[in-house]
Amino acid sequence: MAVASAKPAPRAVARPQNVLIVGVGGQGVIMVSKVLASLCQLQGYDVKQSQVHGMAKRGGTVFSHVRYGERVYSPTIPEGEADVLVALEWAEGMRWLPYLEQKNGTVFVDTQQIVPPFACRNRHRGAVGGYVRETVADIMAHVPNSFALDALGIATALGVPKASNSVLLGAMSTALEFPPDDWKEIIERFVPPKTVQANLKCFDSGRDWALSFDRDGLLEKHAESAPLTVETPREKPDDLSHIDIEANWCKGCDICVRFCPERCLVMNDQQIAEVAYPERCTGCRICEWLCPDFAITVKTPGAVA
Amino acid sequence: MTDVPSAEFNIRDYLRTELFPHFMCPGCGHGIALRALLWALHELGISKDNLAVVSGIGCSGRVGAYIDANTFHTTHGRPLAFATGLKLARPDLKVVVLTGDGDCLAIGGNHLIHACRRNLNITCLLLNNEVYGMTGGQVSPTTTEARYTTTTPSGNHEPAFDACKLAEAAGAGFVGREMTLQTPALKNLVKEGMSHNGFAFIEVLSDCTEIYGRKNDLGESPEMILAQKAEFRSKDYGMERDEVFQPRSLATGVLSRNDHEEYTAAYRKHVLSKASS
Repeated sequence: MAVASAKPAPRAVARPQNVLIVGVGGQGVIMVSKVLASLCQLQGYDVKQSQVHGMAKRGGTVFSHVRYGERVYSPTIPEGEADVLVALEWAEGMRWLPYLEQKNGTVFVDTQQIVPPFACRNRHRGAVGGYVRETVADIMAHVPNSFALDALGIATALGVPKASNSVLLGAMSTALEFPPDDWKEIIERFVPPKTVQANLKCFDSGRDWALSFDRDGLLEKHAESAPLTVETPREKPDDLSHIDIEANWCKGCDICVRFCPERCLVMNDQQIAEVAYPERCTGCRICEWLCPDFAITVKTPGAVA
Repeated sequence: MTDVPSAEFNIRDYLRTELFPHFMCPGCGHGIALRALLWALHELGISKDNLAVVSGIGCSGRVGAYIDANTFHTTHGRPLAFATGLKLARPDLKVVVLTGDGDCLAIGGNHLIHACRRNLNITCLLLNNEVYGMTGGQVSPTTTEARYTTTTPSGNHEPAFDACKLAEAAGAGFVGREMTLQTPALKNLVKEGMSHNGFAFIEVLSDCTEIYGRKNDLGESPEMILAQKAEFRSKDYGMERDEVFQPRSLATGVLSRNDHEEYTAAYRKHVLSKASS
């Protein structure tokens, strides 16, 4: 990288500093790590960065390892050795928490929740999603140096929701001993020219937030409030949808069997649709809508008509 | 019209259940279109006594017979003419016309043009299955080019008709098109059309699985319904792109609307002014 300005003498670090940046595709994980890597290079350190993206584009998990020090040999961070973990999404932060150094590791995590399709496999009404259950209070009790912030909210308040990664960058800058002006200089090089001012504003907001972070106050606030993920336990068996098939009216056109997303229905020997797996029905009513013979009625107790 | 009833929609309240199972072939899209119509009526809160359904001849004409309301089975191609008389005599009734592509565009094409021109407050559902199904599968004005029917054994060489463009050009107050695959969207379109004060022309893209589908090897009814997804596009999508990748694609949704004067009201005003002078 062509960052060839005056190199100050590197600060002596006994072992490489490890920064792990994680998030969901499209959030700006790579941008954050590039800014950090360039900054470290500018400060005269040996830097190695490695990342996984590509398949994760738009929605999948993305992570980026940044290691810097006097000499760095391996580009990846071993488990339990990350000094700083920056998560742009709540569940990703939880997923990568084992990589954090247990005693002195610092974690910055955005409370934004992006629920992946995989967490929604149970499509019954009122079903508990597969999203992480840990709350802000849990994390703050578990990790001594933890910062859970609503970066998306801060960036949205400034009018640039896309720059939430800059807010996290600002918060993260408090954990690494580089002067803020150097950070800003690098950010200016990386972001699109039109968004420089917006990103710098977000960076400042994030930095201010982290510097004025009131851990005890927040812990109290979150101890009282409801957990982030609201659980609504499913009541059995009243909540189950019921498929009613009028066999005399069915002509065996196969539409319901082929269109059912949960594959509840089958054709029997007489070419009449039959409910084979009633427990799978989520009450989506596609079979009812598409039945040309009006043979199917789906009853969903408690559904909004 | 009353307010939307709170009771959940039960289609059997609107059907002549003693006639069931109905006479349509397995997988015929007309049944889905009928459900959308009845669903829309339910949500609009139109009582069965207040509703008159006029239908012509053909598979689409038979659909009307299963509605438990005032139904009127008329001659081939003339449901719109009958409906015009009915609406002028009884403007308090909600008149719905069920017609097919052969019924409305070939034999009754003239009636369609003039119903659109007059902008009479009726709702016309054109159930387009691209073929004369009931009479044995003859070619119709909307049969896609190169498709086989009993009267085009070497493939249809006539260009197909875009009924919505015709209705729009003739001055219909509301023109829309939807496929049977998107039943709730179809229901909403019918609702919107019935709420419009003027002539509402709604083309329902239906399937003839037993005759047209079989003859053209279009697969069974699930395949034919799924094919709609590929062939039709919501109007929100740009049509330019579709012309390149989907040469047969048709726009769906509300295609046009105008606020021309409604005919029954205008007619009464005109006649009364002449009578008083």
